[in-house]
Amino acid sequence: MKRIFEVALGILAAIGGFVDIGDIVFNTAAGATFGYGLLWVVVLGVGGIITYSEMCGRVAAVSKQPVFDAVRERLGLGTGLVALVAAQIVNLMTLAAEVGGIALVLQLLSGLPYRALILLGVLALAVVIWVLPFGWIERVFGYVGLCLLVFAVAAIKLHPDWGEVAKGFVPHVSTESPLVYGYFAVGLLGAAMTPYEVYFYSSGAVEEGWTPKDLGINKANAIIGYGLGGFLSFALMITAGALFLPLGIEPELLGTVALGAEIPLGQIGLILALVGTLFAVGGAAIDTCFSGAYNLAQFLGWEWGKYRGGAGAPRFTITWLVLLALGFCIVMTGIDPIMLTEYSVIFSVVALPFTYIPILLTANDKSHMGRYANGRVANTLGIFYLLVILAVSLSAIPLMLLTNMGQG
Amino acid sequence: MSTSGELDLAYGVLDHQLVDSEGRRCGKVDEIELEGKAGAELRVTALLVGPGAWRGRLSGPFAWFAGRLFARKVIRVPWDVVESVEAAVHLGKTASELGLGRDDDRWRKRIARVPGS
Repeated sequence: MKRIFEVALGILAAIGGFVDIGDIVFNTAAGATFGYGLLWVVVLGVGGIITYSEMCGRVAAVSKQPVFDAVRERLGLGTGLVALVAAQIVNLMTLAAEVGGIALVLQLLSGLPYRALILLGVLALAVVIWVLPFGWIERVFGYVGLCLLVFAVAAIKLHPDWGEVAKGFVPHVSTESPLVYGYFAVGLLGAAMTPYEVYFYSSGAVEEGWTPKDLGINKANAIIGYGLGGFLSFALMITAGALFLPLGIEPELLGTVALGAEIPLGQIGLILALVGTLFAVGGAAIDTCFSGAYNLAQFLGWEWGKYRGGAGAPRFTITWLVLLALGFCIVMTGIDPIMLTEYSVIFSVVALPFTYIPILLTANDKSHMGRYANGRVANTLGIFYLLVILAVSLSAIPLMLLTNMGQG
Repeated sequence: MSTSGELDLAYGVLDHQLVDSEGRRCGKVDEIELEGKAGAELRVTALLVGPGAWRGRLSGPFAWFAGRLFARKVIRVPWDVVESVEAAVHLGKTASELGLGRDDDRWRKRIARVPGS
């Protein structure tokens, strides 16, 4: 019974932890531009993150290898270093975007000046990371992030045309403005499969001391947790499609996104939407901050892990502190966090193959994985998604330039 | 290690994580030192660890940057200290006995002063 309870808690945390600022921005913008027409892309992206999270969680439980350990082993020093630099740049951009998102939400809640709130947000993050144990960080942010379910209620209250919604789940291409449609499709895939999610997931499995006994939990967290996380993405897109598209509103501010819950549900809807966003984005800020430190430490062979305590893994601790400070400096320049989010999602798509190829190779290596190596299903899905990712990563930047970031 | 009991140095040892006898992560196998000559038997004598060991394996702009950013330090871990080769390379001595993880040791004292670490 206790076991089932633990699994349920892990799944809840995964649902709340799935959504970050990239998902919020791209799902809402896609809904406001194409209605429900891109829902199938979210399904595709969620399938990808499930496939690769399950794989890297299994590798971490069986061979104790997190992602960047595998990157260096499989790609070698030179190519591995290219992968590391790319990952760190994208990760820092994402971290900065999340920190900016925290400040934007705090501003909507309090009305205080933006820059003061950036400082407050970063200090709060540093204290939370320093004081709370790993499991708690994941759970607190995951659970409160579930307030975003208010968008599911909002979506139902807005009485969307469910026939149209159902059609959105059937893969198709818009003939009206195919390039902009393609740009949003790439962004939605990138937001669902953000690379930090697999860095964090695999290192988290080592943090929590997973062994082959935990492979059931791994499967449940990846499939049910991320699967239901995708449900939050649907809710955001359907709300935007039902509300913003008919009114011709382009949600360029986080406040506009929250309106999607306020208009059908009133003040309580607004508050739940803002609190949910705050914790979802705050959790993602911590995940990205740790991910950057995990990657560097794992590539260079340093001791790492929150479970070692601040002084038990000194260079790891310093790295996350430095990354948080850099993220702070980037947002303090006044750069628009929403624009930064778009760039970080698109560039992350370009860096994705470097992450996925080593995971697939390691999960297939019987000398490391023994009887837990990939079976036929994992390999078929793994190769399918690798091809999707390669196609998407080649088209990401051309589409961004051709469509002027989705403006048409 | 492969199932046949052979050891693949390039894929099974080079660039792998080093773990000391107390379970501490203490660097990567950055280079492998071999003894012998062409046409004769080769023998692994040591694993080399540290920026000075991996710098030479890079080329282009990375080599230039690494030369400026990192010291030339190389630590030699004698091959007979290696206990087992799995996904990580496990050593039979502690990191401090082998001179590994010195930078972590240096920073540890400073961080330990902060409450809650």
